[in-house]
Amino acid sequence: MCRIQKDRDEMAFSEVFDIFAPKVNAYFIQNGIKFERSEELTQEVLSTVWSKSDLYNSEKSALSTWIFTIARNKKIDFFRKNSKLDFKEEDIREFLYQNRQVDPIEESEAKKQIERINDELDEQQKIMIKMNFFENKSHKKIADELEIPLGTVKSRIRHILTKMQRFLR
Amino acid sequence: MNGTLVKNQLIFDFASGVLGPAKSLFASTYLQLNSNASKISSTFENMLGENLMDNENIHPKNLKYTDCINSANTKSTSNANDPITSFFGKLDNLNWKQVYKGFKEYTATIDDKDELKLIKMDPGVSVPLHSHGGKEYILVLEGSFCDEYGEYSKGDIQINDQKIKHTPIASRDTGCVCLSITEKDVIFFGKYGSVLNLFTFIKSFFKPK
Repeated sequence: MCRIQKDRDEMAFSEVFDIFAPKVNAYFIQNGIKFERSEELTQEVLSTVWSKSDLYNSEKSALSTWIFTIARNKKIDFFRKNSKLDFKEEDIREFLYQNRQVDPIEESEAKKQIERINDELDEQQKIMIKMNFFENKSHKKIADELEIPLGTVKSRIRHILTKMQRFLR
Repeated sequence: MNGTLVKNQLIFDFASGVLGPAKSLFASTYLQLNSNASKISSTFENMLGENLMDNENIHPKNLKYTDCINSANTKSTSNANDPITSFFGKLDNLNWKQVYKGFKEYTATIDDKDELKLIKMDPGVSVPLHSHGGKEYILVLEGSFCDEYGEYSKGDIQINDQKIKHTPIASRDTGCVCLSITEKDVIFFGKYGSVLNLFTFIKSFFKPK
């Protein structure tokens, strides 16, 4: 990433592209966006990585976290523009997410917390968290995909969040 | 109701990007004022970043890295400002509506299903005992207030549902300014609307705790 920031090294960028473009593309598809649109959004995300590389601070967060936040912001934008609700063109969210000053949390501190949470959760619990918050699937959809009753999904997610709470301080 | 759970849910939903404009403004102000909440949010964003890192690969068909370099936009973002000021402007200049003596409110114009309001209470002013129709979120922006459940200062949030009955009193020294969100109950329109509304009305008596 340093080579992109300082030297504008296109080969270094192509490596980042090869790793992240397919994952970002998958993220949009998991969030219910059709393939061709997901590809356009992926292009926007990776363009931002290239043009705004100076905004990335490796001491504050992992590269994957920074790219996730860019992709998330594009997703919010996409759903806002395609919303059935009559949202104004100007939406406060665009401002909020782009100007969010990330808390200068030590990456190692976050890492430790995440490690502890990961130790605590079993595979299915991790999958449910991912489906719920990363793929933003409804509890109903999670129930259908995992073939378990809706009530079980709700109570399990509640249980997972209670568990996580102990490590988030 | 477990307050911490609901607070964390708000933070996680904000990090996931699924909140509407009103709750997003509320949540980002919360993160700005409350360093603990902000830390939780950063940790959770890191978790989502790990999800991205471990995510499956679905390769784009027609996209090369050079396309991204060529299409790079250099549009700069606006200068940073705190969310409340950027949205409301200076609070003193707002057209506050007096509800009763010492209690004023300002309802934001925002396209959302949730209602966003600012509340200003003069020192020592109280709100008569009340409960809530939908879920209500209160964030203290300035000063503090207390009620039967505790004291809430700048950066604290209180989340109230229908079960909660309380009598908030603004601090005698500072008064308080709060941001509030009220979730509106769904109202049905159209042919079967009245039946459905009657149904939600009856159902509201049987809501689980």
